Amino acid sequence: MLGGMLTWVFFGVGLAPAIILAIVSITIIGIILERLTIRPVRYPTEIIHMVITIAAAAAIRGIILVTCSFQTRLIEPFIATGPIHFLGASMAPQAVFVIGTLVIVTIALSLFFNRTLFGKALRATAINPNGARLVGIRIERLKIFCFGLAGGLGAIAGIVTAPITFTNYEIGIMLGLKGLVAAIVGEWSLTGTVLAGVALGLAEAFFAGFISPGWKDALALLIMIAFLVTRTISFSPRVRKE
Amino acid sequence: MIMKSNERFKPYISWMTVTVLIILLPIIIPSPYVMSMMVFVALYGVLAIGMGVLMGQAGLFSLTQPTWFGLGAYIAGILAVRGILTPWIGIIVGAASVGLISYVISAPVLRLQGHYLACATFGILIIAEIAFVQLGDITGGHSGLLDIPPLSIGGFVFRSDLHYYFLSWALCVGCLWFSYNVINSRVGRAIKSSRDSEVASKTLGVNIPKYRRQIFVLTSVMAALAGGIFCFYLRLIAPSSFSFALLVELMLMIVIGGIGSLWGLLLGSFVITWLSELIHLYLGKVFPIMTGEVDAIFFGTLVILVLIFMPRGLAGWVEQLFHLGKRGYGHFRR
Repeated sequence: MLGGMLTWVFFGVGLAPAIILAIVSITIIGIILERLTIRPVRYPTEIIHMVITIAAAAAIRGIILVTCSFQTRLIEPFIATGPIHFLGASMAPQAVFVIGTLVIVTIALSLFFNRTLFGKALRATAINPNGARLVGIRIERLKIFCFGLAGGLGAIAGIVTAPITFTNYEIGIMLGLKGLVAAIVGEWSLTGTVLAGVALGLAEAFFAGFISPGWKDALALLIMIAFLVTRTISFSPRVRKE
Repeated sequence: MIMKSNERFKPYISWMTVTVLIILLPIIIPSPYVMSMMVFVALYGVLAIGMGVLMGQAGLFSLTQPTWFGLGAYIAGILAVRGILTPWIGIIVGAASVGLISYVISAPVLRLQGHYLACATFGILIIAEIAFVQLGDITGGHSGLLDIPPLSIGGFVFRSDLHYYFLSWALCVGCLWFSYNVINSRVGRAIKSSRDSEVASKTLGVNIPKYRRQIFVLTSVMAALAGGIFCFYLRLIAPSSFSFALLVELMLMIVIGGIGSLWGLLLGSFVITWLSELIHLYLGKVFPIMTGEVDAIFFGTLVILVLIFMPRGLAGWVEQLFHLGKRGYGHFRR
């Protein structure tokens, strides 16, 4: 949401600088958020972190609503050409940008997480924070970096999709939720999440087209609940008894 | 931590004080405006108590409280509008069916833990919100359910705010008393032990899934009862009353009141309901659009500040003040 809205705010300086400005400022906002709200908590638990981030998201939504008003904003597509015909289907040129960004970001992230020392340190921290601290990884720095990275990635997604979905103050929440669904279904691995996201989007589009557009948001959540629940059920009771 | 091992502490004194205060309030401040605000305090208080018991005592991070509230309200409202059942029976049927639904849902959902439970219950919340809108033929869609008849006993019709004030506070104090007894009973101790260490309590033979399910169903029935009264008090309900915004407010009540104490939850409901009203009254002129999202700026900031500076909420803060008065400064920074 911020990505699209900030691009719209900065639009006066031209498209490319506006995009860069938006991404940079959102990364900084993410870092400030970590520093101001996550770090000072005295007894950090999962629940408190969740409540804090939800509250911060709600507050940011409100600020955008007050400063930029509730209208839906339109951002011009990056290239102004007609629809592209591909294998008999026509699609908006912006879709190429979306898919291209997805591919580039996925490759960059997987290189980062698997090939660089910093990325490996990050994965180690996610698996076992105490162990990571013992071998000399500075967790606090990594946390800041993660918030910045997540903010920047969210901004990129928001900006690239803005010309298709348009942008307003409340667009983020459902998108964020579906991102979470994809991450859960994809079992938190990079490729899994991307594949799950694509599959989820397709399923949703078919559902909206053939069954009911109003219920399409419920589908993603139902999939998430069903997936979470089936993961807790052991399908091999005989093995367990032995 | 809630009940100190103080020998002189007599619970019935504070119960009596609260009851007397509630009965005296309409005599001290006989304004319908205050009464109507206090109705909301009581009803949201029931929700906050339910969610606080789930989160604080049982350690279940469940976000479905607004859903049960809405379901209870919609079932009772629809039955009354269609003239199928009288309002009173409608409320009970609503609560019973919510109990049944939550019982069925709890079986798979309560197997999840930590933030996975939060994700799943948040999903249920959003699905219910979509369903309230999409089932427009029954629920009235976005514009909501209108022309709900008021409650009545015999020839006596509940019309004024004062009537609903007593009704809702009766429910609220009843729920508070009930929850107080539950969490200090055998079931409550089992629940608390399973929160602190699942493995240890399992070893001691506590049937954790059973107790978790019981407490989940109990809190959802409480929320549904509150929903029933809510719909007959407002006499119109819309999906937006049971949405994400209500969840944020509930979280705020719990955080501000202090998660460990039942009184704190009620206090949280009181503070937040009045605070949101005051914000609307005084800041409505500053900001042209005054909706739940704008409230969220203040409330979101407030949640973060409270969590950072007052991690145990107002109740914990008050408790600390008592300590300060009793034992001198040494215990202040425990």
